Formats: sequence, C-alpha cells, structure tokens
Amino acid sequence: MSSSSSPPAALLRQHAEQQFAEELAELAKADTRQCPPSWKLSPWAVSLYLLGGELDNGFTISPKYIGSQRLMEVAIATLATDRALLLYGVPGTGKSWVSEHLAAAISGDSTLLIQGTAGTSEEAVRYGWNYARLLAEGPSMEALVVSPLMQAMGQGQIARVEELTRIPADVQDTLITVLSEKTLPIPELNSEVQAQKGFNLIATANNRDKGVNEMSSALKRRFNTVILPTPATADEEVSIVQKRVESLGRALELPAEAPALSEIRRVVTIFRELRAGTTEDGKTKLKSPSGTLSPAEAISVVNSGMALAAHFGDGILNSEDLAAGVQGAVVKDPVQDAVVWREYLETVVKERDGWRDLYRACRELV
Amino acid sequence: MQIFGIRHHGPGSARSLRQALSVMQPDILLVEGPPDADTVLSLVANTQLEPPVALLVYAPDALKLAAYYPFARFSPEWQAIQYGLTQNIPVRFMDLPQTHQFAQQKARDESQMTAADATEADSSDSSNPDIAVPIDVPEIADDTSGESTREEETPLIRKIRRDPLSWLAEAAGYADGERWWEHMVEQRRDDTDLFAAILEAMTALRTEVDAVDPPDLERPADLREAQREAYMRRVIRQAKKEGFEKIAVVCGAWHTPALQSSPAVKQDNALLKGLPKLKVKATWVPWSYGRLSYSSGYGAGVVSPGWYHHLWHHGDQVAIRWMTQVAQLLRQEDIDASSASVIEAVRLAEALAALRDRPLPSLDELNEATQAVLCFGDRAPMRLIHDQLIVGDRLGAVPEDAPVVPLQQDLQALQKRLRLKPEASERLLELDLRKENDLGRSHLLHRLNILNIAWGTPSHTSGTGTFKEGWRLQWEPEFAIAIIEASRWGNTVATAATAFAMTQAEASANLPTLTALLDQVLLAELTDALPMLMQQLQAVSAVASDIAHLMAALPTLANILRYSNVRQTDGAMVRPVVHGLVVRICIGLPAACASLDDDAATAMDGHLMGAHRAIKLLQNPDHDANWFGTLTKLADQADLHGLLAGRCCRLLLDDGQIDSEEAARRLSFALSTASDLVQVSAWIEGFLKGSGLLLLHDDAIWSVLDRWIVALSAEAFTMLLPLLRRTFATFTPPERRQMGEKVRQGETVEAAVGIDMGDRFDHERAETVLPLIAQLLLGTQ
Repeated sequence: MSSSSSPPAALLRQHAEQQFAEELAELAKADTRQCPPSWKLSPWAVSLYLLGGELDNGFTISPKYIGSQRLMEVAIATLATDRALLLYGVPGTGKSWVSEHLAAAISGDSTLLIQGTAGTSEEAVRYGWNYARLLAEGPSMEALVVSPLMQAMGQGQIARVEELTRIPADVQDTLITVLSEKTLPIPELNSEVQAQKGFNLIATANNRDKGVNEMSSALKRRFNTVILPTPATADEEVSIVQKRVESLGRALELPAEAPALSEIRRVVTIFRELRAGTTEDGKTKLKSPSGTLSPAEAISVVNSGMALAAHFGDGILNSEDLAAGVQGAVVKDPVQDAVVWREYLETVVKERDGWRDLYRACRELV
Repeated sequence: MQIFGIRHHGPGSARSLRQALSVMQPDILLVEGPPDADTVLSLVANTQLEPPVALLVYAPDALKLAAYYPFARFSPEWQAIQYGLTQNIPVRFMDLPQTHQFAQQKARDESQMTAADATEADSSDSSNPDIAVPIDVPEIADDTSGESTREEETPLIRKIRRDPLSWLAEAAGYADGERWWEHMVEQRRDDTDLFAAILEAMTALRTEVDAVDPPDLERPADLREAQREAYMRRVIRQAKKEGFEKIAVVCGAWHTPALQSSPAVKQDNALLKGLPKLKVKATWVPWSYGRLSYSSGYGAGVVSPGWYHHLWHHGDQVAIRWMTQVAQLLRQEDIDASSASVIEAVRLAEALAALRDRPLPSLDELNEATQAVLCFGDRAPMRLIHDQLIVGDRLGAVPEDAPVVPLQQDLQALQKRLRLKPEASERLLELDLRKENDLGRSHLLHRLNILNIAWGTPSHTSGTGTFKEGWRLQWEPEFAIAIIEASRWGNTVATAATAFAMTQAEASANLPTLTALLDQVLLAELTDALPMLMQQLQAVSAVASDIAHLMAALPTLANILRYSNVRQTDGAMVRPVVHGLVVRICIGLPAACASLDDDAATAMDGHLMGAHRAIKLLQNPDHDANWFGTLTKLADQADLHGLLAGRCCRLLLDDGQIDSEEAARRLSFALSTASDLVQVSAWIEGFLKGSGLLLLHDDAIWSVLDRWIVALSAEAFTMLLPLLRRTFATFTPPERRQMGEKVRQGETVEAAVGIDMGDRFDHERAETVLPLIAQLLLGTQ
C-alpha cells in the first residue's frame, strides 16, 4: 500500500488501522482468547477496541464508539457467525465509522471498500476487464480487474459496502450469491472465486435518504441488521459534539474561541428534544420535524456558529450566532417544520430559564 | 426442618423447589403468605382456579385496605402449595396476618390524617398512594407511608433491604438483579445445594447490612419486618410443638437467615404482643401477566412473566422454541419470518452468549438476535413481542364458588344506600341532580359504565334543564362476571373506576377518545383520575396534528378551569393544558383553515365558535390577545372560505377589536364585484349568522349591504336568494320584521326625502318607475 509509506502527518485523514496501529498491536499481544478463522483479534478484543477500556498491562484503548455496548456485541457476533452485517440508521450516527473500525480490527485492513452510488455498476461489485490485456491475451485471470469484494473473498477478509441503498437494485442483488453461496462465479473463464474463511461483508445504509433503492427482501434476509441509534443521553451527545467541534475547529483553523459547553449543551438539548418529541424533563410532548437532527448536524451548527462569531461577531459564540443555524437545521420543510419550530419556541424555549436570549434571537428570524 | 429461600415468581426456583420437596417428603408445609387466607387455600386444588390469580385479603369495613398476593403457575409458592395439597399434608401460611397489618396501617393513616389536618400546610399532596398505585403491594406498602421520621437514611441500604438480590448482582457485575438471578439460579441445570447456597449468601448479606444499618424498631418498616419474622418463627415453633418432624418452610430468600436462627421465644412474644386487629376476609381474584410485570406498579413483580412462563413449560431447547414462537407471532402480524431466519437468529443468539461468556442465550441475547435477524433492526415489532410474548396477555380465572369480591360488596352497599335495586326488567329513571341521592345514583351509574358494567344507559329526558338526567336501567346476569373482572382494578366502585379510567387514558393516544373519557370521568366525578388524564391530554395534544380535535377539546377544559366543580388544586393542573391548547390552536389554525370545502368550513365554523366561547370564558388577556391576533390573521387570509372570513370579521367586531367602519370596509371588500358570488354569500352568512341585531343597529354596515344588494343583477339576485335566505332565516321573527321596516324606511328616505310617508304612499305608482330605474342603474332590460 503506497499510502503507508508516506509520513502520516501529511495525510489529511489516516485509515483506522494506521491511526490506531499501536492500540491494535497492543490488543493483539494481550489477546489470549480464541479467534475465528482469519481474524486478527478475538471477538472480545474487537469489542474492547471499539468501546475502549484498559488492558491488563495498563495500556489504555480509546473508545471509538460512544454508545451501547450491546449493539457492538451484536455486530461482532454477527460477523463471527459468517452472516453479513447491515448497519442501518439516520445519517450522522457513525455507521461508516463503526464499519471502518470493525474491518480494521478484524482484518487489519479497512480499505476493501465499495462506495455505493447511483452509478455503481456490476463491474465495481464483481470484477471488470483490463481490455488491453483481454484483447492481447484473451480471457484469463490476469485480464480480470478484481473488485475489493473479490479480493476480500480470496483473502478471507472483511469487505465494506458504503451506502448500499444508493446502488441500483439490480446491482445490489449481485451480492445475493456472494452472501448465500459464498462464491463469485466467473462464467467467462468457467471458473469462480470461493470465499476463504474469515470473509464477510459490512454494508451501511441510510433510512432517511430520499431517492434510495429499497433493498430486495431476498438480499435483506441475508443480512443481520443493526440500527445505530442517536446518542442515548445528553451528556454522551454533548461529549461527542464537543470532541468533534474542537478537532474540526482546529483543522479549519477557526480563530474563534472554543465554544462554551453551555452553548453546545443548548444546541444538543434542542436537537434531542425535537428528535425525541419530548422535553428532557419528560413533562411536555413535542412534534418532531422532518429533518434528522443528528449529532453530525449539531456539530455543523456549532461549527458554522463559530465561523459566524469569528468572522462577523466578537469571536465568542452566542445565541445570535447559533439561531440561524439551528433554525436552518430544524426547518427543512417550510410549512410543517415551521409550525413545529414555532410551537417549540413558544411552548418550550420561551418558558425556559436563561433561554430568553435564544428565544429572542430565534423569534427575530421566524 | 428445611428452609427454602426462593425468589417470588422464579420458574427456576419453582422447579428446584418441586424437586427438593419430593426428595425431602415433608409432613407439613409452611409458606410465606397471609394466614388470614388459610380458609381459601384449598381452592388451589380446584382446576377452575387457573393462574395467574391473586390472593386478595381485604378489610370488609375499610375496603381501601387490601393486599394482593399474585401467583403464576411458575411461582414457587404456587408449586409448593399444589405439592402440599396433592400429597395431603397440611399447608399453612405463616406471614404476619393481615388482620394486624391492616389495623396498623389504619392507625398510621389516621394519625397521618390528623397530622395533616393540624398543619394543613401541604394540602396539595396530589398523589394519594392508594391511587397512584392502584394495588396495595404487600412488599412495599409501607415504603410510601410513615417513613417521615428518618428520610435521610442511607438510600443504598434501603435499596438493599428492598431488593437484596440486585445488590449481589451488582457485586457480580450484572446490571440488574433479575438477570443475575436468572443466570445463577433460574438457568441452572444442577440444583444440588442450591437452597443451602442461597441461605449462606443471604446470611452474609444480612449480617453486612445489619452491621451498616442496624434495624431500628422505632422505624415502622423495620418494626414490621421484625414482627413478620417473629410471627414466622412462632408458626414454625407451633408446628414443631404439634409434633411435625419434617417441616418445609418456603419463604423469600431475604427472610431465610432470620428463620434459621432462633432468638428467645420471649423476645418474639414481646414483639407480637398486643397487636391491633381488624376484621379481614380473603378470596381469589383473576390476575394477568401484564399486572405481574413491573410496569403495573407491582413491587415484587417480574419484568418478563411471559418469558418465565416459557421457561417453566419448556425446560429444554429454550432458545429454539422461543424463536419459533417469535416467528409465529410475527407471521400472524404479516411480517415475514422464514425458518431460515429462525435458524440464523438462534445462531446469532448463541454466538452472542458465547461472546458474553454465558452458557446459554438468555432473554437479552434472544431479543437482540430477534431484532437483528427477524425484524431487520426495526424496534417496532419488538414492542409487539414484548407485549405478547415477554409479558404475555394471559388472564387467570377463578371458580364461581370463590368468595365474593369486595367490589361486589361495595356495589351492594351503594345500591342499598342509594335505594337503587338491580332488576332484570327494564326501567326508566329520571334523576334530579340537585338532589344529593340522585347525584349519587348518577355518579354510580356513570362509574359502572366506565367499568363496562352497563347497568344504566343514558336516555333523553323530557325537560331541557341541565340538572336532569335520564337513565334506562336493566340488570344483566353477566354483570356478576363483569364485576369479578373489574375487581382487578380496585375494591370500591370509585377506586376501580378511577384505576380503570387511568389505564384507559394511558393506552389512548387519540384526542377525541381522551376528551370523551374526560367527559365520562367528570360525569362520574372521579377526581383522582384527573391529574393523569390531564397529563395524557397534554402529551397527546402536543403531537395532535388535527386542529379540529384540539378545538373540540378546549371547551370542556375551559369549563373545568372556569367553573371548577372539582377541587381547587385542579386549576393548577388544567391551566398548563389549556395554555398549551390555546397556543397550539392559534399557531395551527391559519394552516388548518386553508382551502376548505363547504362542509369542512361549516364544521370548522362550529369549532371556531366553540373555541371562541371557551377562550372568552377563560378571561385571560394573553389568550385573548393571541386569539384575536389569529382571528385578524385569518380574516386577512386571501384564500379563506367566505363563511370563516365573515365569521372572523364578526367575532372581531363584536369584541371591539375592529370598529364598525373597519367592519364595513371589510364587508365592502368582501362584496367587491371581483369576488365569487357564492363566496360572497358565504361571507355574509358567516358575518350575520345567528343574530341580525347588528344589521339593525349599525347603519354603516347596513348601507354597505344595501348598496350591494341593490347593485346585484337580476340573475345574480335570483341565484343568491336561496343562499341569502339561509342566513336571514336564522334571525328571529321580530328581527326580520324590524329589518323589513328598516328597508321600507330606507327606501323612502332615499327615494323621497322629506315626504310624509304614511298611508298616502302609492305603491302601484311607485312601482311603475322601477323598471326604468333598474334599466338606468344596471343596464338590464
């Protein structure tokens, strides 16, 4: 792999197995449990890698996924039973992130990736041809352009499909044979590639996107589905948002001061309340807007608020800087969502202690 | 003697206990339970008594005092009693009799009541414990009362006392006691020495707890605990004295060490000396798995009775049989669940169990596997599985010859007091609600209706007064069964109806049903159900998208707030709901009124009037401002149906929000020739409907309307006449006559100013010029 030779500091983003190489190595050293065939780590160690913790020798593993341990265990157990895993959920809940780290921990390689788009063709999923060679030498294994999926099958590794439901339905169904027969036929050569032990597939899909290609039930049945939820508690979400905002702010070199925790908390609270359709104290029920209001959107609201504060304000994030971003995130449908937002402002924001400034700032925009 | 520490409703305990008993072959069986119920114990052998059932002990003179002891088939106590009865050995309950416990509770309640009367400060304690938890639970009944002396005591210790197993579970690294117990005991295949181990664990635990927080007999909870254990020891001694040698004692695990040790007889006697007594009765009532679960407020319950049922009935192949059941349920609901998926689900559950170092998949693993494989990650079917399988909807049954339930007694007492005899033949009854007895009858009938005991059906009365109420009474024999069914909800008609209404409210997510229920509850005067209803109304109205429903709910609530015939504290409860309703109506109304057809507009007009009256009734300046702001916005809305636009304009005018000139401007704007004639007539209908006085007294409006009518073409006039007539027909005859006179006056004033217009006016001659004038003015032939 060419990227591994270049100095890591110059890369904009490293692969999981590069960034956390030390943790993976330490885990492999400490791991005495039984590994499924071709797995680099045991399921127990994979779970520890994802959720974070401390090894017996005092080495600390950072948490990659902040959230339910049970979900991660279901995902890992699924991969251990040779069933394919489908990570499903609203945008911004860390599906691709989890899939990348699972592949890195299990196979030590998260790059066997097929990115699903409306233009993904069958060749990208199965194999293509190197036509120069095909013409020169005739059909042979050497003339094949191997897809990441085929490569993973041959090496007994984890392949990843991102945004499965964006791929046209007939192309999606190519996966059925691979998942049930664990083989990829090459009729042109009258041959096939049979999957080695350890091969498995992680797909991610989005359940809120418009214009997706619904999976056929034949394909759906071949996956175990794990729905990644939005964070369970406000503290969890605040810490996720804060972490990401800080690292992104640094990357974009925003001159504004790091945002006060209280402002992040307010944004997260608004998002959580509207998403859940109930106030945090559980006393008032609310309508939910059509948007997803994921943690990722909270991050971008805070980020754009910071940019506003830095370039047009006094450098300190305040409610005026946030109001427009919050409203833009909530009101996606100009009629329905506007009603939801106004009701929320009038019944919740207006009454809440210390939120007057935010109420006024939002009211001016409505 | 052998002591078997069990966990109430644990199928593993039950299985181990059955085995241990058949090994031990006891000659007497002592079970933790109320000795007051020894008389009905023999019914357990009756095949018609089908679990889940509950043993109900109650005080016939104070029906609020009652204790339920639920049993499922997998309850160890139930299995023990059954074993004892089939072996023909004596079976006795050995807990402190409820006759004493009730008497103590009553004394405490009374002293609390006098204390409350004395201070009178906190009259706002909205939650009467008897209502908040409709069932008095023997295990936790005391936790809510009489604990005021040492509230700051270590909460951890209290938690341990109440649920000792969760403490052990926490030490073992489990999230809750139930899971831990399930893994350590219920799923155990080898039961040798299980009970000895439990005894040992509990002894250690109790020694620790008592060292940290020594029992203090001044505390009612501790005193009660000490008395109960003293009584149990007394029963054991009694049995020994009677010459029984192999005594089997079945009790909650927590009590085992206390029964093993044997303090001085004197000490126990001192504890039990001079306990007050109250007359009690016992009977069996049907129970349900839903009520066995925690969610129904039963303290010593289990989270998953249906799962335990499954464990009890299928000792082997638990996971496979469970998954098959799940798949069958899903198929019933038209969700695909193939056998291949079942196989995969079982495999995943087993892999998960292995990952978690467990020998067998437990309910957690099975649920997670079901969700990932069979439900495609979706959580909605899981709720179905939870309700139908994990909790289960199994209902128990009791034989007909079981002693009567207290609800029946209460009903009989009420019937006697209100002089309302149950008769099989139909009878009409007219009640005058101003009379106390009749009001009581009305409440009773309404309450019974809430409980689905339809003794009386409301019928129309001849009079128009609101104080009259008509009923058609007919007593059906099935009501006897309905009463037994209803006795699950409470021991008096009032408490049962309250509890039932609250459950209904909880289950209902639709505003009209809730409003109807609210009406019923108000008619039945079940004030204790109101807080919960209000909460639910609040929750449901927040997500209701149908503004009409919101508006329909407003009048009832406004009435409560304004004329609260209920206790004063309720105002605080209703106000936020009403506030929320008004705000939501005001925000949503303009959108809800857009593009309505004639029928929808008429319906909306009714709601508009209802809401308007309700808001005027509230006399709250904020609401008024908000409401009239919305009405103004509506009146300005371009595409609004004429009827509503006219109505809004009229409401604004009546309230002085706009003056008559503005109204006249709006009228003339609406009557502009550019407008569609049908819409115009609808506008007039909305503006004038109901009262014509406005026309008589406001000349500006009169003249605008007059000019418009005069300007109509003949065809247009003919077309509009029926529509206009519809409006004008709603005026009272005197109004119409006056209008006629005004028209006549107006004509003369305009036609010939200053001429005396008595009898000398010649209609025939005047009419001859009209065609010409019409031709001149309108250009028609």
